[in-house]
Amino acid sequence: MTLLDFARGPAIHWSLIILIVGTIWRLLGVLVLTRGADLSRPRDAFGNFKGYRTVFSRSWPSGEFTTTTRYQTAMAYVFHIATLIVVIGIVPHIEFITGLTGASWPGLPNAAGVALGVIALASLLALIMRRVSRPQVYCSSWGDYFSWVVVAAPLVTGLMAFAHLGPRYETMLAIHILSAALLFAWFPFGKLMHAFWFVFSRAQSGVAYAHKGVRI
Amino acid sequence: MSTVAADVPVFPAFEQVFQGFAGQIKQLREMAPEPRLSDEVRVQRAIDTLIAETNADEAVWLESCIRCGQCTNACHYFQATGETKYAPMRKMSLYRKVYQRELGPFRWWYRLVTSPVKLKDLEDLQELVYDSCSECGRCAMVCPMGIDTATLVHHQRSALVAAELVPAELAVMRMEQKHQGTVFGASADALHKMIDTIRAKAGIEIPLDKPKAEVMVLSSAVDLVGNGNGLLATAKVMNHMGVDWTVCSSAFESANFGLLSGDMRLWAKLVHPIVQTAERIGAKTLVIAECGHAYPALRWNPMLKGGELPFEMMYMSEYLGRQARAGKLRLRQLKGRITYHDPCKTGRRGGAFEEPRALLKAMSADLVEMPANKEYNWCCGGGAGIFLLESATRLRDESFKIKMQQVNATGADAVVVSCASCRLNFESGRFKNHWDKRVESLVELVADHLVEGDRVGSVTPIQGAAA
Repeated sequence: MTLLDFARGPAIHWSLIILIVGTIWRLLGVLVLTRGADLSRPRDAFGNFKGYRTVFSRSWPSGEFTTTTRYQTAMAYVFHIATLIVVIGIVPHIEFITGLTGASWPGLPNAAGVALGVIALASLLALIMRRVSRPQVYCSSWGDYFSWVVVAAPLVTGLMAFAHLGPRYETMLAIHILSAALLFAWFPFGKLMHAFWFVFSRAQSGVAYAHKGVRI
Repeated sequence: MSTVAADVPVFPAFEQVFQGFAGQIKQLREMAPEPRLSDEVRVQRAIDTLIAETNADEAVWLESCIRCGQCTNACHYFQATGETKYAPMRKMSLYRKVYQRELGPFRWWYRLVTSPVKLKDLEDLQELVYDSCSECGRCAMVCPMGIDTATLVHHQRSALVAAELVPAELAVMRMEQKHQGTVFGASADALHKMIDTIRAKAGIEIPLDKPKAEVMVLSSAVDLVGNGNGLLATAKVMNHMGVDWTVCSSAFESANFGLLSGDMRLWAKLVHPIVQTAERIGAKTLVIAECGHAYPALRWNPMLKGGELPFEMMYMSEYLGRQARAGKLRLRQLKGRITYHDPCKTGRRGGAFEEPRALLKAMSADLVEMPANKEYNWCCGGGAGIFLLESATRLRDESFKIKMQQVNATGADAVVVSCASCRLNFESGRFKNHWDKRVESLVELVADHLVEGDRVGSVTPIQGAAA
């Protein structure tokens, strides 16, 4: 078995299993806990439901915090959108997903894929530079840096594989797939899980404040 | 002349009240109880408390933080000092550690790789959850995950109660209210004396212990042992409206040091006599004195089935605002430009935004909002008991400068507050900074601007008794 076979075979399959099982385990482990009841009378009879809008409204900082958060908000948006398009938009990825699920859709031109990959990597660098340069604000843990490396690695190796940089192509591709496998396997254990938590966290706070008639 | 009080001050000005309080607070430190339990037991009790108070909400919030640092933009203590340890996200680190080791889905792993919580960790936590967090909730307004750090901080206060690590001043106040049932010695006797004084000197009648009344009004220790003007003003306004009201000597205290210290059991215990009394006298409305945290202690008490109570609970500003809207208050114009400070506990964490503004509007006030107002209001720095803590003096003073900038930006001559704690803190800040703004209490302002004569209703104040 070559390194590429290993990457395409057991590595990616096991990492996906860890991703799915781990994510379900972590979500369930938290969500099965009881919910504390707030017995006080809500300000408006059905006002609490308005709280769910926080799930969406918090996707953008309020005007009060525009200035202080704009760098991070802008970079975070660029990173998430560019990465998402690269993950589901370039031809080799679509072929991989087709191999797993059978679903298929047209891919982006190579140049666009490369451009988006570079943009995603640049925004990720912009974010880590800020994190490193202002430790008093970020209170980073080792998990924050590890998550960054794990997210940056597939972008770097993917671009290198495409540009035929580094080791020969098959090896580079294998390394790229292995880095993606590492990302999948790490996902349930670190802060990447915010991809799920944000819905619950925002909803809870939105409802708790809406209970008192406050829109957050 | 309408009332004697308008011309001859019955009670000292709030500035003097503040000076008196400052002296009393200093003495509290010396009376602080010593820990009785062993270190191991204290740590275990703190952990057990956190485990018991952690539901899915808390777990999700603890899981959600991505250390993005946005919350530092919102916190007045961090903004005022720039010190890392005051970053809101740090205030939940120890809680997260306990959660990950004891409850989290990967607890077997965290028990292997993290060290157990030590008493030293809890001692360090004291400054983070008491001195440097007024539970104002402003960080929840910016957090992209929507984490409500204030709630998590409050659970940690509960844990520190269990670990006998409540700061000295709050510990003394908690013990006094727990064992004597008083705050700053404000007993039923003090209430009787204050009511007698107000009757004798100002000629204002305060209906005490009526067997039945529509409205039950709470007072607060600040009113009873220091600022008699608060209760006097309340009485003037209630009588002006001709409301069927009473103050009850079996339950008159708004302040709740159970809530402030984090002692949930004491919080619940202190609420019972108030609820029972209000039910006994058939009150339709319970009015909470201008004492910010008393609003969440009663109105938003999560342990109290509010929907089943036969009465409604309202904060003073909320009640008066509704009365003003209903045209029950006849008010003179308020001269000069003012701004209004939303106490965290009644504003962002209470939702009573519009009523105090309606009240000021009823006085045709030239109200200019601060740049950050309502949900985004900056805390004055003295909430959640912090005003009492000597160890928090620097944090309070530095963060108050943000508030001063906010008020100064409005060009107002006076800032109106509706919370005794905020008011004491504003007064302290005004004094230390030689600030040229006046600090006004909303209810006292209303009392001073009542249009007397042609009174609605039956209750007429006895006038001129002390003339």
